[in-house]
Amino acid sequence: MRRVRNWFANPWGQPRALGAITWLYMVWSIAPVLIAILFSFNNGRSRSVWQGFSLRWWWRDPNNSVLHDPTLRGALEQSLRLAGLDMLIAVPLGVGLAIGLTRWRGYGAKPVNYLMLFPLVTPEIVMAVSLFLVFDHLYNVPFGTEAQVLGQVTFSISYVVIIVRGRLLSVGPEYEEAARDLGASPLGAFRLALLPLLYPAVFASLIVVFALSIDDFVVTQYMSAGQQTQTVPILIYQTVRGTATPALNALASLMVIVTLLSVGLAYLVYRWASRAQPVTSSGALNEIAALEA
Amino acid sequence: MKNGAVDLVQLRKQFGEVAAVDGIDVSIEAGEFFSLLGPSGCGKTTTLRLIAGFERPDGGKILLDGEDMAATPPHRRKVNTVFQSYALFPHLDVFDNVAFGLRRAHVKKGEIKGRVTRVLEAVQLGGYEKRKPGQLSGGQQQRVALARALVLEPSVLLLDEPLGALDAKLRKALQLELKAIQERFGITFVYVTHDQEEALTMSDRIAVMSGGRVEQIATPEGMYEEPETVFVADFLGVSNLMRVRAEGADGGACLTVLGDFSLRAGRGEIAHQGETHIVIRPERVVIEPYESSGANRVPGMIERVVYHGSSEQLVVRLASGDIVQALFVRDGSSHDWAQGTAVQVHLPAEALRVLPPSSPGEMAAVAEVAPPDSGAALEVGAS
Amino acid sequence: MTRRWFWPSFALPGAGWLILLFLIPTYAVVAVAFGTFDPIFSTPVPIWNPLHWQFASMRSVLSGLEPGHAFWIVFVRTVGYVAISLAGCLLIGYPVAYYLARHARRTKGLLLVLLIVPFWVSYLMRMLAWVGLLLPDGLVNRTLMDVGVISAPRAWLAGQASSVVLALVYGYVPYLILPLYATLDRIDRSVLEAGRDLGGSPIRTFLHVTLPLSRHGILAASVLIALPMFGDYYTNDIISNSPRTSMIGNQINLFFQGGSEQAVGASLVIVLSLFLAVLMSYYLWITVRASAETKESLL
Repeated sequence: MRRVRNWFANPWGQPRALGAITWLYMVWSIAPVLIAILFSFNNGRSRSVWQGFSLRWWWRDPNNSVLHDPTLRGALEQSLRLAGLDMLIAVPLGVGLAIGLTRWRGYGAKPVNYLMLFPLVTPEIVMAVSLFLVFDHLYNVPFGTEAQVLGQVTFSISYVVIIVRGRLLSVGPEYEEAARDLGASPLGAFRLALLPLLYPAVFASLIVVFALSIDDFVVTQYMSAGQQTQTVPILIYQTVRGTATPALNALASLMVIVTLLSVGLAYLVYRWASRAQPVTSSGALNEIAALEA
Repeated sequence: MKNGAVDLVQLRKQFGEVAAVDGIDVSIEAGEFFSLLGPSGCGKTTTLRLIAGFERPDGGKILLDGEDMAATPPHRRKVNTVFQSYALFPHLDVFDNVAFGLRRAHVKKGEIKGRVTRVLEAVQLGGYEKRKPGQLSGGQQQRVALARALVLEPSVLLLDEPLGALDAKLRKALQLELKAIQERFGITFVYVTHDQEEALTMSDRIAVMSGGRVEQIATPEGMYEEPETVFVADFLGVSNLMRVRAEGADGGACLTVLGDFSLRAGRGEIAHQGETHIVIRPERVVIEPYESSGANRVPGMIERVVYHGSSEQLVVRLASGDIVQALFVRDGSSHDWAQGTAVQVHLPAEALRVLPPSSPGEMAAVAEVAPPDSGAALEVGAS
Repeated sequence: MTRRWFWPSFALPGAGWLILLFLIPTYAVVAVAFGTFDPIFSTPVPIWNPLHWQFASMRSVLSGLEPGHAFWIVFVRTVGYVAISLAGCLLIGYPVAYYLARHARRTKGLLLVLLIVPFWVSYLMRMLAWVGLLLPDGLVNRTLMDVGVISAPRAWLAGQASSVVLALVYGYVPYLILPLYATLDRIDRSVLEAGRDLGGSPIRTFLHVTLPLSRHGILAASVLIALPMFGDYYTNDIISNSPRTSMIGNQINLFFQGGSEQAVGASLVIVLSLFLAVLMSYYLWITVRASAETKESLL
């Protein structure tokens, strides 16, 4: 007993107790998801009792697999469609906003900055309700894909701004000054000296918007119009307590894999592209991750 | 056609309440190596940025070969800058960096290649075309930055403390290289630095600035030997400033009273009467045995002997209370000057200079820049 | 020169979008909350002119918030869930963040990656995972029965407050750990070494040096997850689906299902937003005071 206690209380070594807690937490955090992914390969209909290995819910089953079930397929397609449109619209808007905010010297800069920050601290239900009401009563926008895209872009912009602005601030104005000194017009300096240095941040924000869009629930649900415009999170919400099959697990697992792969890719590209420049990798890691918060 | 004379006429720039550049008049000749020297915050970098076009003046004129440039944006002035941080485009290789300005000017491709290759050879970076800035050392980056500006054959080249980020040895080597390049290309260099040794080494003429104003413009020797104000005297090297009461000229020299002692000062404002300062350079101070006598001698005691390798510095407290530093080049001869020895300090009249009276603001600036009585304040001559 | 408008013009499209789709919609909430009701079409009618605002709906919401009434119960329950979940998150999250920041050396990279992975797993997927485990024939019940803790399967998913709190903790704790880690990582190692050097045992150094220094980080991370937690409704719907455990978010959600009760829902949203705004202001006030203090202190 004494030896166990000593092992725990080693003053120079790692605090074993803390380490144990940390690893236990990691297991507790990730195991349920892994188990859910595992069950997507279940042979039977149960999501809780293992009945053997099978690929039926992924593509084998001609009626109920992710590949063949029209409801599941539809949700997948809608999720990807919204994500694509979200990326296409939110990133340019956000990049422009980031550049404008960093360089703006006048009076409008501060209010616009606050305007950009507010979506980040607003609970989603407040944002969803406000969009719902304004579409219903003022703008007369019908619910459905358009409304969903409009809503998703609205909260995505702020994340883009934060990513790009961080990069902008570390780049500084000197490259553009040098370009102008060498004969480039202000617009030319922006295009040739600044923009190329922003590509890593733009790419990172594309991926972040993608991930945010795919996983979004509240705003997307409020803006939806029935089964046609269901996304994967909405489908999960509707069917998880009912008679959902492991196909649901498969669908969700698919999304997880796609998201993790794209985030991993983004991280690698970001590090590769910034390798000659003074951005620490842990800084980038923290940046990208802290955005979800 | 490359002239490159720059004239600043009553140039003024304000940032909020503060006048960073407060009405300065500077005439820089074509082809000269001209330094703007001063402590941080004196306005030298702002002046450079005004000439480059990154700041707009609040008053006065900037003339390049007689033409007022104040309304011309930076990308249209025949002036190029070497930035303190080099600002090499990280995403372009050395060739593209140097060719950048040529491409903006729509120079033909064949000509670009020739000019870039030649200028890279001139800065001894031939063969480095494909490297990226991140793969270069500090000294190499600095030379690429130089090449990038030189290839455009500007009339005037502005350099903003380009050697600041390099270690001492590299800095000295590059100082000589820069000077050689300037002489070879004949371009006007306007060089900003806070390092007075650097300015003295490289410049044809120097302008010492303080608080947005020009204190003095002179050649290096002129500046060092004949400082016109207390600030200039103290900023360049050790100055041995002493407060005296001047009593006017008498036979080619000024009679000054230092405490209980009377000294004849043969240079500067010898006709002055009233409270002022005298100054003498440490290498002109002569330390004699206590028994020696004669004019311009003040008794004192050696407080400290500081060894500087090739020279020795004696810190002596005079009977009047002032601290004086004397500099000996170690030439092999020995002496008995040890700490605590009583000596006679001879301040030769021909080396003693009377300065015009200074304002309290000036004295404050002097105190900020060079804290009195610091043994490490010895600049020129020591290595 | 046209330079003054050059840079702000970049920001215009984004700013315009946010004004149209974020700022104005918040006004729409107010207009509906203080609007009237069209009896013919059974739809709420927003009133845009402040001079004509009707406060009937707001009054009914406020009376519902009096102690003992319907909204009050839900509100108190929500505060309770958030508080308990927050405590749970801190209890679990702080040690992990601390270990990561101060001790893990070789495994730090791996642990950081493992920490960040849940961020990118959809919240609903993580809830799906727990539903699978908490089903009557799920792994949780079967393991507990095998070990002997319980004798019959428990209905974890039927209106159990404990399940909801557990799910909230599981769902939100990653969002707490990362900022906490960032704060703790930033504490200068030499300050802690000084604490040890001056005679503090590890525990006392922690209590008297680390904990106070991380106080602000704890507050910030707590606010960061409390805000969205207050608006959460889907966790309850998925894990419990019972009015016994409904939170404020569920109440609001209810009023927007049908379409005729929008004014009440909007009024509730306003009340919730004001409550959260008070929380936020308190947090900001503490932040401003803290940074003013640290500017004067050496630490």
